[in-house]
Amino acid sequence: MNALFGAMNVVLAATEDFEPQKEFELPAWVSIHIGPLDMSINKAVVYLLVGAAVTCILGIWIMRFGLSLRPNRRQTIGEALYDLIYGQIAESSLPSKGLALWFPYVAALFLFIWILNLIGFIPLPISDEHVHIAGVELPTWGVYAATANLSVTLALALITFIATHFEGIRFNGPVRYFKSWVPQGAPGPLLVLIVPLEVISQFMRLISLSVRLFANMLAGHMLILVMIGLIFIFESYALIVIAVPVATAVYIFEVAIVVTIQAFVFALLSAIYIGGAIEPEH
Amino acid sequence: MTTVLAALDGNVADMGKAIAFGVGVGLGAVGAGIGIGNIFGSMIQAVARQPELRGELTGIQWLGFALTEAVVFYALLGGLLAYVLV
Repeated sequence: MNALFGAMNVVLAATEDFEPQKEFELPAWVSIHIGPLDMSINKAVVYLLVGAAVTCILGIWIMRFGLSLRPNRRQTIGEALYDLIYGQIAESSLPSKGLALWFPYVAALFLFIWILNLIGFIPLPISDEHVHIAGVELPTWGVYAATANLSVTLALALITFIATHFEGIRFNGPVRYFKSWVPQGAPGPLLVLIVPLEVISQFMRLISLSVRLFANMLAGHMLILVMIGLIFIFESYALIVIAVPVATAVYIFEVAIVVTIQAFVFALLSAIYIGGAIEPEH
Repeated sequence: MTTVLAALDGNVADMGKAIAFGVGVGLGAVGAGIGIGNIFGSMIQAVARQPELRGELTGIQWLGFALTEAVVFYALLGGLLAYVLV
């Protein structure tokens, strides 16, 4: 036990300036400025690229090696994923005339967000902090989720937002589409209140869609960080007994439930919004 | 911790912000806790009455869960904004 604490003392001495909030800082690695736009490549961009590559490879691995009548393990995974996205997300919320057009978008959205959330909980050697081992500077293994960044989730929500209104106007014509925002049979004076509320609610969707995913992932990562950070803040090894099991429990809860649920809900709500615009109720 | 200690030096504003943040997020969590309990309670009742509907209800259940759970995070964001900006 003493040897363990001795070893931890060495580790603590090496990392005495432990600052957990550094996980969320994004200094530019490759500075790219186009006019007023800051397109620099930082940690979040690298995670997005890795997520996109893994999503593409997953799709190719599952579906592009031929399908057989007696499915093997790879095909079973693919069919389960397809069944989940088609049966649970797309079929019930997209009307039949928009199903074939928007199912690929919804499926890609689900897989991309799911992979991004998931690799956010796998330690990868992509980080700003460095360790020196035998004279070689190596990045430390850190966790970071690209979806724990409001810019990423807001961009994803914006795609859905633009697609919603584009499809609404394309399928119904601008007059019929914007008329569907006005409830039928409401008395005139009430419309003055209802119509602005309806317009605001369209923009609130943008906020709720992006903030839900962002805050969920941020809170998950922060909870784990705070639990581990307690040991360093109070400088007491006795806290390991409490902090590490709690952090592990949070980690398992996040990986097993939250990661999938948030991707599922983002894709499902996108499908519901687009489906509702293609076929308005009124 | 540090903000509560800061109040001893007469820095009451920092302590007030910390308390407001905690109370705000806590109240948000109370509402979402009641809502999530309600959703899963109703789900258990529904499946107990009609077990064959389980597959259809699961999707709706998780949608409701995520929509309710997000309320805590709106409270958290509002609290953080108040803490940082005020």
